[in-house]
Amino acid sequence: MNWTEIAILVLTFVVLLGIGVPVAYSIGLSSLVTILITMDPVIAFTTLAQRMATGIDSFSLLAIPFFVLAGQLMNKGGIASRLIDLARAMVGPLPGGLAFINILACMLFGAISGSSVAAASAIGGFMVPRMEKEGYDKAFGAAVNLTSASTGLVIPPSNILIVFSLASGGVSIAALFLAGYIPGLLIGLALMIVAGVVALKKGYKSSETTSVKIFFKSFFGALPSLLLLVIVIGGIIAGIFTATEASAIAVLYTLILSMIVYKEVKYKDLPKILLDTTMTTTIVLMLVATSMGMSWVLSYENIPQGVSDFLLNVSDNPIVILLIINLLLLAVGTFMDMTPAVLIFTPIFLPVVVQMGMNPIHFGIVMVMNLCIGLCTPPVGSLLFVGCSVADLSIQKVLKPLLPLFLAMIAVLLLVTYVPALSLWLPELFGY
Amino acid sequence: MKALRQKIDKITEAGLVILMALLVLDVLWQVASRYILRSPSSFTDELARYLLIWVALIGAAYATGKNMHLAIDILPGKLEGAKAVLLHRFIYFLILIFAALVMVVGGIRLVYISFALGQLAATLQVSLAYVYISLPVSGLLICFYCIHEMIKGRAEV
Repeated sequence: MNWTEIAILVLTFVVLLGIGVPVAYSIGLSSLVTILITMDPVIAFTTLAQRMATGIDSFSLLAIPFFVLAGQLMNKGGIASRLIDLARAMVGPLPGGLAFINILACMLFGAISGSSVAAASAIGGFMVPRMEKEGYDKAFGAAVNLTSASTGLVIPPSNILIVFSLASGGVSIAALFLAGYIPGLLIGLALMIVAGVVALKKGYKSSETTSVKIFFKSFFGALPSLLLLVIVIGGIIAGIFTATEASAIAVLYTLILSMIVYKEVKYKDLPKILLDTTMTTTIVLMLVATSMGMSWVLSYENIPQGVSDFLLNVSDNPIVILLIINLLLLAVGTFMDMTPAVLIFTPIFLPVVVQMGMNPIHFGIVMVMNLCIGLCTPPVGSLLFVGCSVADLSIQKVLKPLLPLFLAMIAVLLLVTYVPALSLWLPELFGY
Repeated sequence: MKALRQKIDKITEAGLVILMALLVLDVLWQVASRYILRSPSSFTDELARYLLIWVALIGAAYATGKNMHLAIDILPGKLEGAKAVLLHRFIYFLILIFAALVMVVGGIRLVYISFALGQLAATLQVSLAYVYISLPVSGLLICFYCIHEMIKGRAEV
């Protein structure tokens, strides 16, 4: 492993990122600087360009714009309020009910829309002010909101798991989706336990009531949105269609729902929705493109092999190595966006853990959970930013109530890391 | 320059919406041909992947112009006045270098190589150059946006 190249790569990347160069270009530029040390410039330019184009040449990646589009169509049509109603009927009367509603609604919304940031802003924008009005600490409300929004990235359908499938060289998307359910629900559960303890301690009461009738009414209200999950996941797991085809069907389904059934989206809204979708998607895809460039530079410099040798030298105990990898990923997640982190670090760590006998599906879930935690931490957590801006609070104010929730997420992460059955039981049940 | 930029913005937006709509229709057609017509269409998979490359790269250029790419804006947020303008220009200058060298120079060379070698897409049987040409096109757009961001007046930054 060549330490000079690594040092230059890391240093240029951190400096570029620090002065405010967009992440995608920081990745591209630092890769370029590094490869220019050893390679003829024209060949380096051409190969990087080619890596960028072929990096996004993937049928699986197509699922991302389609899931985003389906999510956009659903957002236009009051899906957030219908899911909040359902969550209210299910967990509202518990002490600290509003916190539970916030968590459950974020989980449902995150799963359906596939966007954790959208979950934090759509659910948080409604729930955090309500929590404040009913006497909750506003910072606590924001902390609950932004941590629970991250669960949507683990609960399928999840775009980041599709990116992992690409980075790992084709781990089954269906298997990854199935593997995400239990860990995702566990994070939600852990957050609810912490929220419940805080609510009891601070004496938050609930003014919500529920009944079987209210439950069924809200359930049927939210049913069309929930049905989308059944169609998409059911179709993928049953092997009827691929993730990409399922995402296209999700678009058709939400289009019919929002334009014909609910009449909440008009024809003239479509170009705007398509453009919004394109922008959300291309921001991710440009990250994919330049990350693929960096991944090539790393392998050209033999860095994955070096890291693997280094880790196996430190210890041959899988428990220790997994702990080290978790710590490294947590650190990466705090300053790097999820998509490049998955694309750059999967080729580095996956061979190490596979050599130790870890299932790639299991590793995918562990990696995504690590990076989810990174989304909620300073200095660069997109969920932390969105969660705080929705609540109109500074980051410093939210940190204190965030800490116990954060520890709960780490506890679940360790549990999922060391108990493979939590992620592998469901895929194995369905024969993956 | 400002009028030209508005025109380019409009054309790019329209192009992106059309490409995206084509992408949706293409994959829906693939699903329909497989499950309803029972004769899977052979070209839709490849066409979709190539459309996605075009959407991604052109969209990335548009997002660069609109300053929509993810960035850590702690330092830009702290600076004021002349220093802020200088940093703004410097950031776009760095992006310009990347776009010009990798996407334009590297991209054009890639297009040239695939033409010269006669590389064809497997089922569509068109030259791969038509896919790779998205790189210099996007690169030039990014260069244009960067130059505009670098020369525009202090008040607009």
